[in-house]
Amino acid sequence: MQVTLQTLVGGLSLGAIYALIAVGFSVVYRTMGLVNFAHADVAMIGAYACSTFYLTSHLPFVAAILISIVVTGAIGLVIERVLRPLENKDFDLMLIGTIGFGTVLQAAATLIWGTTGRAMPSPITSGPLDILGIRIRTYDLMVIAVTAATVVLLTLFLQRTKPGAAMQAVAMDHEAATAVGIHVGRSNALAFAIGAGIAALAGSLAGPMLYVDATLGGALGVKGFAAAMLGGFGSIPGAVVGGLAIGVLDSYAGDHFQGYSVLVTFLVFTAAIMIRPTGIFGERTVSRA
Amino acid sequence: MRARTRHTLTVPAVALGVLLAATACSAPGDSSSDDAGDSGPIKLAVVDAQSGQLASLGDWEAKGAKLAVKEWNKKGGIDGRKIELTVFDDQGDPTTGTNIARKLDSGNYVAMIGTAESAVTVAMAPILKQAEIPNITSGQATALVDVKSPFLFLNGPTSTTYDSTLADYLVTTKQYKKIALISNNGSYGKGEHDAFTAALGKAGITPVADQVVTTDQKDFSASLSRIRQAKPDAIFIGSEEVEAGLIVKQARDLGITVPFAGAAPQGTPVFIETAGAANADGTIVSSPYLSNEISDASRAFAAAYKAEYGKDAELHGAKAYDGTNIVLTALKNSGVAKGQKLADEIRATKYQGLLGDFAYDETGVGIFKTTIGIIKDGKLSAAQ
Repeated sequence: MQVTLQTLVGGLSLGAIYALIAVGFSVVYRTMGLVNFAHADVAMIGAYACSTFYLTSHLPFVAAILISIVVTGAIGLVIERVLRPLENKDFDLMLIGTIGFGTVLQAAATLIWGTTGRAMPSPITSGPLDILGIRIRTYDLMVIAVTAATVVLLTLFLQRTKPGAAMQAVAMDHEAATAVGIHVGRSNALAFAIGAGIAALAGSLAGPMLYVDATLGGALGVKGFAAAMLGGFGSIPGAVVGGLAIGVLDSYAGDHFQGYSVLVTFLVFTAAIMIRPTGIFGERTVSRA
Repeated sequence: MRARTRHTLTVPAVALGVLLAATACSAPGDSSSDDAGDSGPIKLAVVDAQSGQLASLGDWEAKGAKLAVKEWNKKGGIDGRKIELTVFDDQGDPTTGTNIARKLDSGNYVAMIGTAESAVTVAMAPILKQAEIPNITSGQATALVDVKSPFLFLNGPTSTTYDSTLADYLVTTKQYKKIALISNNGSYGKGEHDAFTAALGKAGITPVADQVVTTDQKDFSASLSRIRQAKPDAIFIGSEEVEAGLIVKQARDLGITVPFAGAAPQGTPVFIETAGAANADGTIVSSPYLSNEISDASRAFAAAYKAEYGKDAELHGAKAYDGTNIVLTALKNSGVAKGQKLADEIRATKYQGLLGDFAYDETGVGIFKTTIGIIKDGKLSAAQ
């Protein structure tokens, strides 16, 4: 029982990170119908930027995260700007463009920060909580709280504010949105910037849990993408459920199938997607291909 | 819905075709070019991961090899010829490695230093054997010996040496009876797992827990909880630097206080930083190169390394430095021989290196000793 619960705690902690990555994927997808394959590498840049401000400039952890969100938000704007001529015209090229950007970001990280990664010490120095023999890291609780807060704020933004509503409108019908005076390019740029900012947040939070190097994007991206698929691409609650599900599934698979856990995780994932191709909360609002 | 234009598929398809055709044209073991290049610089290759998860290993390796070559060139090279060192990035990937092996063959390289990843070295070995290019690897998996290539040499001990020394220390010196294992399913982790289990078996000890994780796993709650239940006296880790660091960090968070034990990766700064110095305290390491303070030679090497790169030397750089020096010594003694002659010369080379005295046997292993060290305050020093 203890092992089972401890495994659940471990899975949820990482699952919160996967959920944040999936939310970022979904924000861009629901606005533009585009899967941004550079997304996880933006998260990696965010983690590196955060580690630099935190370890080298000795800023407080929260300040380091905020600066890295601004930095990656700018990267998101650049990516969108470069891809803008293709928007609503050539989808395949846009996809390839985002894959290209991912590679560029990885190469840039190696150039800037070198080949050896860096370990980030946890900003919270107090020991883990011990509840009936189950150990819960204080830092993990903070990560889960931040993820929850981010999701709530994002949902409010999309439903209650004008720019958020504009993004929804663009997602539904970009031509009609243009007709009523919404600037589609600006709306897409905002989506990209928000997605990149959330990626930086995820990367920064993952830093102290993992190890920051140029391959961090690969580690987070595959699971984050799977989480978004499982939850239903474009759905914010789906991304959260999907992320936690993948995290927990991964931890239990690791326990029962040891070295074969990756295989089992993705077999279960495949089966789930075959049963519900649109994911758990999937709806076909976006279809622009 | 917009119809997909057909061009989007034809372009990648054509590109793929061209790529396949290009690789198919360079047959492996194309030895016709072996007689060229008896003047001009002597070409050595360093093949190692310069990007990806194992990039730090590759970086250390390349630095050690470059330092050795620089020192030889300063003394005027070999037979008046300069030594030219080229670094190739194998990304830690066996497929990339085999492509590089073919490049070495067509590029007239006399010998190869690296890789630090046993799986890549094993994948490259058949091609290098056919091309008759001697290779000194920094890998330590027993799989390297099983390849039985007369062109493959190790610049350090095998996992068997590391782990029998370690098991002997844990069981005999420390009198630990309950030992748990956690290792990854990659080539290094599996090699370590098998070598350590065999060494324990000789001492009549069965591990109280034996957990296998994947190479890219990030959460070890389940495995560590099971190990905690087994109440071991010590925990053996068979995995690379970063993963081992994460395992130790998470174990301490779960309230596991017993010491960890492992081979070379557990003695590196990357491991100590990832785990956190306080968490890594008391880790028992079996390594042929505990610190830069072992001998006058290692102090001189560390000083030169520091002057060249502004960083502290460590085991992997020392291994590559030794390996490169062995190749260069063999080249000098044989009058810049190539292929089989150079391989035989390497096998006959007796070299006093940073890791100890090298004397190769027919399996390609030249050193059979490691020492036990303990991590204290973030530093590795010899066990008392």
